[in-house]
Amino acid sequence: MSSSGASRLDAKIPSGPLAEKWDKHEMDNGLVAPANRRKFSVIVVGTGLAGGGAAATLGELGYNVLNFCIQDTPRRAHSVAAQGGINASKNYQYDGDSVDRLFYDTVKGGDYRSREANVYRLSQLSMDIIDQSVAQGVPFAREYGGTLANRSFGGVQVSRTFYARGQTGQQLLLGVYSALSRQVAAGTVKMFPRHEMLDLVVVDGKARGIICRDLTTGELKRYQADAVVLATGGYSPVFYLSTNAVNCNATALWRAHRRGAWFANPCYTQIHPTAVPQMGDYQSKLTLMSESLRNDGRVWVPKKAGDTRRPNDIPEAERDYYLERRYPAFGNLVPRDIAARAAKVECDAGKSAYMSSQSVYLDFNEAIGRLGRDVVADRYGNLFAMYEEILNDNPYETPMMIYPAPHYTMGGLWVDYNLQSTIEGLFVAGEANFSDHGANRLGASALMQGCADGYFVVPRVVANYLAKGGLGEASTDHDAFQEAESSVRGRYDSLLKINGSRTVRDIHWELGRTMWDAVGMARNKGGLDDAITKIGALRDEFWQNLKVPGEGDDMNKQLEMAGRLADYLELGELMARDALAREESCGGHFREEHKTEEGEAKRDDDNFMHVAAWEFKGDGQTAERHVEELSYENIQVKTRSYK
Amino acid sequence: MSSFRSLAWSSVGKKVITGLTGFMLIGFVMVHLLGNLTLFIPDGGHGFNEYGHFLEHAIHGWLIYAFEVGLITIFIFHILAAVTVAWTDKRKARPKGYAMVRNAGGKSRKGLPSTSMIVTGITLFVFVVLHVKMFKFADHPAVTYDGTTMKNLYAVVVEAFKQPLITGLYVTVMVMLGFHLRHGFWSAFQSLGLNSDRYMSTLQVLARVFAVLFAAGFVALPLFLYFFADAPVPGGH
Amino acid sequence: MSQSMTINLKIWRQASGAADGGFVAYTVENVLPEMSFLEMLDLLNEQLALKGEAAVEFDSDCREGICGTCGLVIKGTAHGPHAATTTCEVRMRHFHDGETITVEPFRAKPFPILKDLVVDRTAFDRIQQKGGFITANVGSAPDGNAVPIPKTDADKAMDAASCIGCGACVAACPNASASLFVSAKISQLSYLPQGQVERGRRALAMVTQMDAEEFGDCSNHGECEAVCPKEVSIENIARMRREFIKGAFGK
Repeated sequence: MSSSGASRLDAKIPSGPLAEKWDKHEMDNGLVAPANRRKFSVIVVGTGLAGGGAAATLGELGYNVLNFCIQDTPRRAHSVAAQGGINASKNYQYDGDSVDRLFYDTVKGGDYRSREANVYRLSQLSMDIIDQSVAQGVPFAREYGGTLANRSFGGVQVSRTFYARGQTGQQLLLGVYSALSRQVAAGTVKMFPRHEMLDLVVVDGKARGIICRDLTTGELKRYQADAVVLATGGYSPVFYLSTNAVNCNATALWRAHRRGAWFANPCYTQIHPTAVPQMGDYQSKLTLMSESLRNDGRVWVPKKAGDTRRPNDIPEAERDYYLERRYPAFGNLVPRDIAARAAKVECDAGKSAYMSSQSVYLDFNEAIGRLGRDVVADRYGNLFAMYEEILNDNPYETPMMIYPAPHYTMGGLWVDYNLQSTIEGLFVAGEANFSDHGANRLGASALMQGCADGYFVVPRVVANYLAKGGLGEASTDHDAFQEAESSVRGRYDSLLKINGSRTVRDIHWELGRTMWDAVGMARNKGGLDDAITKIGALRDEFWQNLKVPGEGDDMNKQLEMAGRLADYLELGELMARDALAREESCGGHFREEHKTEEGEAKRDDDNFMHVAAWEFKGDGQTAERHVEELSYENIQVKTRSYK
Repeated sequence: MSSFRSLAWSSVGKKVITGLTGFMLIGFVMVHLLGNLTLFIPDGGHGFNEYGHFLEHAIHGWLIYAFEVGLITIFIFHILAAVTVAWTDKRKARPKGYAMVRNAGGKSRKGLPSTSMIVTGITLFVFVVLHVKMFKFADHPAVTYDGTTMKNLYAVVVEAFKQPLITGLYVTVMVMLGFHLRHGFWSAFQSLGLNSDRYMSTLQVLARVFAVLFAAGFVALPLFLYFFADAPVPGGH
Repeated sequence: MSQSMTINLKIWRQASGAADGGFVAYTVENVLPEMSFLEMLDLLNEQLALKGEAAVEFDSDCREGICGTCGLVIKGTAHGPHAATTTCEVRMRHFHDGETITVEPFRAKPFPILKDLVVDRTAFDRIQQKGGFITANVGSAPDGNAVPIPKTDADKAMDAASCIGCGACVAACPNASASLFVSAKISQLSYLPQGQVERGRRALAMVTQMDAEEFGDCSNHGECEAVCPKEVSIENIARMRREFIKGAFGK
């Protein structure tokens, strides 16, 4: 079933030594003269770190930017929710960090499934991000001497994470938002809030525009440009319950995929180990508790299966600090995929926190004894307060209860070194693309990648694309725009006409449970086959029995959600197919058939050291799998160990 | 950039004006209270009348005029700025109100003193007009001390405060002054940017102390006169 | 789990900005104490959808109190009866079985209602565009440690910067003033050395735009701080006024 899509999957990695590739590429890239830039327009979808950063920087450079977001203001893009921090290889702590070390940690953390050249560039740019953010007024934590503070995060042994309390994502995003605001005032960026991209318009093989729905009025609108940048984030809400915002969706990506952008590694999903456990069927989301908690919190379960005593009644000798036991070198700071799976192993064996069979303890008792309550409150007070509000339980006194939750998707649209997808002129940035994190993302690396793509990579690679010229006119009256708009209209009309008996939430919940059970933390052939069948049936059920109240030409969030769910019902199947085809375990993708005797992930580098990129073949057709081989010239591929 | 005038009449400018004029009015009220203390001297009103006479004739009568012009200007700005903030702009900014409003409590400073500023303020203004009318633009009995004839304002005061209605109204208005100062005192610091979390609690205590002191000072006077002063002797010595 | 409750709702419904609105009463059954307030509204919308009635529109996104999207006036208080929470963080255990809860949109002229409980807060964006930034083009930044910033200043800047732009300050202000929002940004940047260059201009420009949007003026009631989910202090408003005075009298 694998076929080589070599011609379309050329990563276009510049030649030369790894450390010089990006600089050399910059020199080889074409330029657009300042006076000519305003003649080019660029559509950027999304206003998070990647999208907003790209839009603002393109605006600063003088391009005409049209920037879209589904939120009521660009400042609410979901980057806002990232808590813990952002990595950079500054080595301010003199603990042995370097560009090479960050590169190494990221490739290893991604279980050798990321593209070497992209990761190295990311590692190089990480330092510029900190400088840029500080210049914008991002209030990173400081030492008393006035220098920047750092902390450590999972999966690494240096302190390279910069942070702004537990709101690093928010502060970085507000930096982006302020840069965007300045460009809006300068007239270079035109902002379209409450606009949802519902289709990509491809003219003569090149991305030339989008169709949007104005979420306030329901009106469909056409927008044309010389290049399109998608930075619309990930697709974790395919699991229904995830740490993502309720409006996060894959529709822009999926619509682009249907128009010819290949989807890479859709099965690579990150299940974050520390979220507040699920409590009931009514729930709309899972709340993340920052990974930084594992710096001081100790994870444990009762040694005895089925122990229902309250945590404070369980004596020290009857507790199993399983992360410290299994991974002495990294202890509670093992990478996310390892920590999440370890929690599942314990719970599957019947050892869990008292509240739910799917929860473990995260205990601060030792930290409070060592540091004092005030220090712990200073570091984690806001998270503790959030936890207490949700569970009505005080983490200073009783250990927190946590459980893994879908969080981040490493998969996304396939892009080359220039972040260009398989559609010419369609660039994909941030979580929406696939390239930098391989099969597992390390903590504090998502913000790094979003900023690197947005501020530094997209503006340069888009300029190079525009400099090549030969784009020609593409008015919004073009047939391709007509066709795209009427297909969107048809789709939304049909959603409203079904008039069945099941709500959007109801069907989404069912999809989510199916995904979580079969395509979640552990996967196997039987379950995946079964899931593919179930999802197909659920898709039919959706199109025959959905109930969407309200009108199309009005604000109608139920309709918005229905459109997104329709796409999740297709993407979910692709995720299962990808997981099925990848007959190995790597990073966040764990196939129960492929594990070591100790229960760790077992890669198959001979057969699967590649990117799987799926090509859409039409409704009712199975997508076609292509591969991009990965080669590691600067790093020794090893079995990942955190023992 | 905007003209100085438009900046001065901006939302922040109006607060600065209210705060500045507020401080000036507090200064005036303080001096006034000190002057009133002469009424407590058991000299049949001699000290008080001399004080009034001095004010009217200092610098050939110019001092009082300069003060009056200044005070009227301060009053006008204080009232205009405050009324636009708490009345006209407020109504414009929320044409449709809530069906249900509850005070948030906690760190909020909202309460009767803050919400009644416009009422206490307007009442105080009406009071000042009547007060000035009574002391400046009415016929007064005269009194002569050591050959100098002057208005016997003491008699006017005592006569007035022997009437329970006037004393009652006066006390009510002075309690309202206390309320006005309870919010106005710290608020003036806040409006002029002279506040931060470090000073907030101290300012709140000071505001309370100020409010009570001023109200008590002004309230004590009519009660004292009502209960303890002799009826004035017409014509003096 | 816990005992389920029946909740009576009085919700403001309005078909569009131009339409007249009014309260509509609903009863939601099987509400669990551990549900969030918005999950309870989700439940109501499920029930309405099955009856073919249009859902009650309300804004919400992250559901963990950081994005600033949600915002309702619940029982007369913006973001509900508890301090330091957003609407999405309000839990139903704070209400009792059979209780009637009035739910209204944030009300202010510069926040026009779009539909039901959804309001347009783009006025905040326009204020930000006038000066809520430090002019620092990509490529021009010095090393992050080049200018030391005292920890106390960085902490104060962070306190102010934690504003999520939800608009509860406006909603709760008896005057519908945006002073807390505007001052938080002015204050944040005034604490940082990078923000000094544009300091005076920023304060004047942002205040001027705040007025142009027709927000009310501030009477120092302090309701804003009390409802602010991030507890942004009104000391920032004092600081904004200081910045404004300096800007007006400066060069």
